[in-house]
Amino acid sequence: MARVKKIKIRSKKAAPRKMAIAKRRPALKKLSGIKIKNDFPGQAQLAVLSAKYSPAQVAQVKRPEVRELPRKYDRDRIVLQVRDPWWLHSYWGLKDSTIERLKSELKDDFYRAQRVLRVYDVSQINFNGHNAHRFFDLYVNEHSDSWYIDTGAPGRSWCVDLGFMLPGGRFLTIIRSNTVTTPIEGPSWITDEEWMIPEDMFSRLYGMGFGFGRSSPVGKDWRKKALFSGILSSPGITSMASPVKKPKAKKFWLTVNTELIVYGATEPDALVTVQGKEIKLRPDGTFTLRFALPDGKQVIPVKATSNDGTDTRAITPVVNKETK
Amino acid sequence: MNKGYLCIVLHTHLPYVRHPEHEDFLEEDWLYEAITETYIPLISVFEKLLQDKVDFRITMSLTPTLISMLQDPLLQDRYLKHINRLIELGHKEVERTRWMPDFQNLANMYLTRFYETRNTFERYHKDLIRAFKNFQDAGKLEIITCGATHGYFPLMEVVPASIRAQVKVAASHYERVFGRKPAGVWLPECGYYSGYDEILKETGLKYFFTDAHGVLHGTPRPKYGVFAPVYCRSGVACFARDLESSKQVWSSIEGYPGDYAYREFYRDIGFDLDYDYIKPYIHPDGVRISTGIKYYRITGSDDKQPYDPHLAQKRAAEHAGNFMFNRQKQVEYLSELMQKKPLIVSPYDAELYGHWWYEGPQWLDFLMRKIYFDQDTLRMITPSEYLNENPRNQVIMPSTSSWGWKGYSEMWLQGANDWIYRHLHEASERMTELAKGYHNVNGLTKRGLNQALRELLLAQSSDWAFILGTGTHTSYAVKRTKDHLLRFTRLYEDIRANNIDEGWLADIEYKDNIFPDIDYRVHQ
Repeated sequence: MARVKKIKIRSKKAAPRKMAIAKRRPALKKLSGIKIKNDFPGQAQLAVLSAKYSPAQVAQVKRPEVRELPRKYDRDRIVLQVRDPWWLHSYWGLKDSTIERLKSELKDDFYRAQRVLRVYDVSQINFNGHNAHRFFDLYVNEHSDSWYIDTGAPGRSWCVDLGFMLPGGRFLTIIRSNTVTTPIEGPSWITDEEWMIPEDMFSRLYGMGFGFGRSSPVGKDWRKKALFSGILSSPGITSMASPVKKPKAKKFWLTVNTELIVYGATEPDALVTVQGKEIKLRPDGTFTLRFALPDGKQVIPVKATSNDGTDTRAITPVVNKETK
Repeated sequence: MNKGYLCIVLHTHLPYVRHPEHEDFLEEDWLYEAITETYIPLISVFEKLLQDKVDFRITMSLTPTLISMLQDPLLQDRYLKHINRLIELGHKEVERTRWMPDFQNLANMYLTRFYETRNTFERYHKDLIRAFKNFQDAGKLEIITCGATHGYFPLMEVVPASIRAQVKVAASHYERVFGRKPAGVWLPECGYYSGYDEILKETGLKYFFTDAHGVLHGTPRPKYGVFAPVYCRSGVACFARDLESSKQVWSSIEGYPGDYAYREFYRDIGFDLDYDYIKPYIHPDGVRISTGIKYYRITGSDDKQPYDPHLAQKRAAEHAGNFMFNRQKQVEYLSELMQKKPLIVSPYDAELYGHWWYEGPQWLDFLMRKIYFDQDTLRMITPSEYLNENPRNQVIMPSTSSWGWKGYSEMWLQGANDWIYRHLHEASERMTELAKGYHNVNGLTKRGLNQALRELLLAQSSDWAFILGTGTHTSYAVKRTKDHLLRFTRLYEDIRANNIDEGWLADIEYKDNIFPDIDYRVHQ
């Protein structure tokens, strides 16, 4: 097993953070940070690998472990994403310096202005800020940093400005999002000439794709609303996500099962049979057997024979079980 | 002469869960259960089909995270421990059920299966990927790739560099494992947004899959609906799911797996038996979990009857016959309407087979034998073979879509999980900045940059958002999302400050050891 001695030294260039105390210890323990067994597969290779890349002396600065993600990042950014044909999702964030700049530019208006998401329909155009087909405004809370947007029209391209609605009614854009295109919600109206197909033939193919076809004698009509209602989602993964989940909560219930425990002890090297079948003794000569116990009578001969075969002892419990 | 084709695709994925820092880790059981109940049963089916010279075809997407876990020595050894514990429990159960023959037969069945499972596992030297590679090399199985960590691409639209990294890391990982380039890709969750197939083309991938509406709602209209592939403008082919055949297997209401003869998933002795007895075989913290030993059949009432393997097997054969009959009718009908042979694409999560639907592997076995021996209407095919036979296809732009709940992105973008994207996107931007800003580095900086990409990719697994969306057992998903993002952030800051803590880096390299050959420069 590779062992690497490492000496940490203070680097003059390092940022003025809290320094680790130099320690000498084997590299392997360092790798995991916890106690691990020596025979871990891959461990030795990794140690070799890490030894290969480790210079003899490494400058290190110990830093406190961060446990939480930051609430925001120092970036002016608004992102638009497609949730489905009708809905978009947007999230945004502003740098502190941007907010300060707006405060100094707008003065008191900064506090009177309302935050607005202006949603532009930019289908099939190069949007320049003024040529949208139409737009609508959503007033958002000052503390919101994300929003779901109902576009009301599938199959369109969208772009969003985060901005201020100033007291005079003027809209001031702060940041603009990326452009996204939502899918249409049914078959396309476009059928190219080369591949033109009669409406009825397409609809038959289309219907079959959704399981309306008459070709299949089994399977009832599969109505569209049931299409994506989760019956097609993966039960395998669902069960992975919740291994304990049961299908439905039961009404009031009670189950009772009975088990029989047969236990005993003899010389550790004796041969013991229970109902004629040899059993394994623990090192101290004790044994425990556990049986599911159905209704009825059970005769359980237990027989022990000494190691040299000269002595035998037999005990036969008889158990009657009845459920009323 | 056959009239049409059936393409069965098994999407085979688990997120990367590997915790060397803990002796036992509950979520690692996802892998162990899937090995015992799905992967090894499927391998056994394929082995026997090969032995019996059945010319079958199947397509599987083995995700890079799953491949990495199946080839990881730590997890391999832990699995061996796991199956040995099950064998021990199996012996105890055979004893315990001595006076209840119905149950003792089942206990014996499980015990035999556990031994066979261990035997198969050891026969492949604990590396099940070897088995799948054999089937591929024999020409029966087409293995395709996926996103490196199953990141959901439609919600990476603003950071296409991350999609590129997901695709390229996956493709080069595939090449290293299988010694050839992947022909196709399973888009994680079938998540497609119009236009990004360019990245697939760049990587040399020839096809991908969408859900039915991805093609049916494409522009212009697809002439043959979902029953023939289409080309995107990039020249990458797109195959769409046939919903009728999907429903027969998937549907929890009308699907085969709900048949009363089949094994009941929820009645596991891990929950049913006396706590003290079962304690050594559940989680060390004392949480009751599934052991895989389940004695009841679905039955159809609360008074569950003992499972009857013979009845279940008979039913699986009937259902395979029924499935084949319906596909025959489907292609007979379609072949009248189309100028080429129709193709029915039936994709499923592999873990459905065996884990959820215990008899699923048997059903597949019957289906592939029946198709081969009993009829001529239908043949099985892989996507590559179909494209070779039918190189001319319509050009359309598929529609943004997924195969998840409601068909779009809501499963991964809702109140319970939408907070993650601000952080994921920020990390992606930062990763691009690093990839563009650092050239010709080596030593510690290079290790840091590569690890930064590993952490980002691991944070992007769609599984975390999915679990958050389901709202149950979310703490692990929150932890994984945060852990990887925080590790990424610290690396980003340390790299830029030229102040990488080597000990800490080595620790996270040891914990998050996926993709040893990763190259951070792909994230651009």
